[in-house]
Amino acid sequence: MSEHDSSPRGDPLESLLRDAAPAAFAPGFGERVRARVAAERAQALPHALEKHFLRIVPLAAAAALLLATYNWWGARGTTASALDAALNLPQVTIASAYSSSSLFGTAAGGTETP
Amino acid sequence: MSDSPSDAELIARAREGDDRSFQTLVERYEGAVAATAIGMLGDGDDADDVGQETFIRFHRALASFRGESSLKTYLVHIAMNLSLNALRRRRRLLARFVSRDETGADAPAPAVGPEGEVDARELQAFVRAAVGRLNEKHRAVVVLRMFQECSTRETARILGVPEGTVLSRLSRAMKELEEHLAPYVRRGERMDLPERAL
Repeated sequence: MSEHDSSPRGDPLESLLRDAAPAAFAPGFGERVRARVAAERAQALPHALEKHFLRIVPLAAAAALLLATYNWWGARGTTASALDAALNLPQVTIASAYSSSSLFGTAAGGTETP
Repeated sequence: MSDSPSDAELIARAREGDDRSFQTLVERYEGAVAATAIGMLGDGDDADDVGQETFIRFHRALASFRGESSLKTYLVHIAMNLSLNALRRRRRLLARFVSRDETGADAPAPAVGPEGEVDARELQAFVRAAVGRLNEKHRAVVVLRMFQECSTRETARILGVPEGTVLSRLSRAMKELEEHLAPYVRRGERMDLPERAL
């Protein structure tokens, strides 16, 4: 506040007011500020992660939607439901579920060699 | 020649994570921020919160602080804005229950001794209460011009009003204060105080 101009009243009222200016907060103010700065610093990493996460969410959602559309488009001719198609799930029937190849893989029957 | 580092040096060190330098700045400007916050809100938790928040905001802005204005002006500007926000919040919350701001609460008029002497602390409390009775626009001008000794131009810049508005508000506020404080300002001279209180 380098530039100071006097008010129209250069009188004792001004000096009375200036002397009444509060000079400090309650004792321990510096400590309270320090504690809040430390708390803020502790919050900084979670906040930064949250910020980055929120930035990535729309991109991830858009990529997932694109992939689902691609899968669904590729499975148009099949009898798979829209959800199965979007998730690119293989068609499973009871027969195929109990078939030896689904239980033990393609090389079923103990023919695998170590 | 003073050994104490300049604000710029302390800010540079604080930017690099030196907490001691930041703490030195807090100590250096606590008075300026206190004069603004307590002057506007009265002595209490609201003012203390505003004081803390002022320095927290400064801490957050350390990296981008360019020093275009002095640090004191910068901090007083933040403290004034936060104080005005706090006053608005207080008014909204308490409008139904209290008829005026806490700062307008009456302080007992200091007794004048036979020699015309007055207890300094009592007088200061009385003067602050008188300032607290002003409406918030007038109070802001008095706090900046009288408590902070800002120039009219700085006051206008901080409050975002023309300089003419600052002068007219100050004139009205001083007139009002003169009425309240007349017994303690006699014949153009201030009463002698027996001691200077903090």
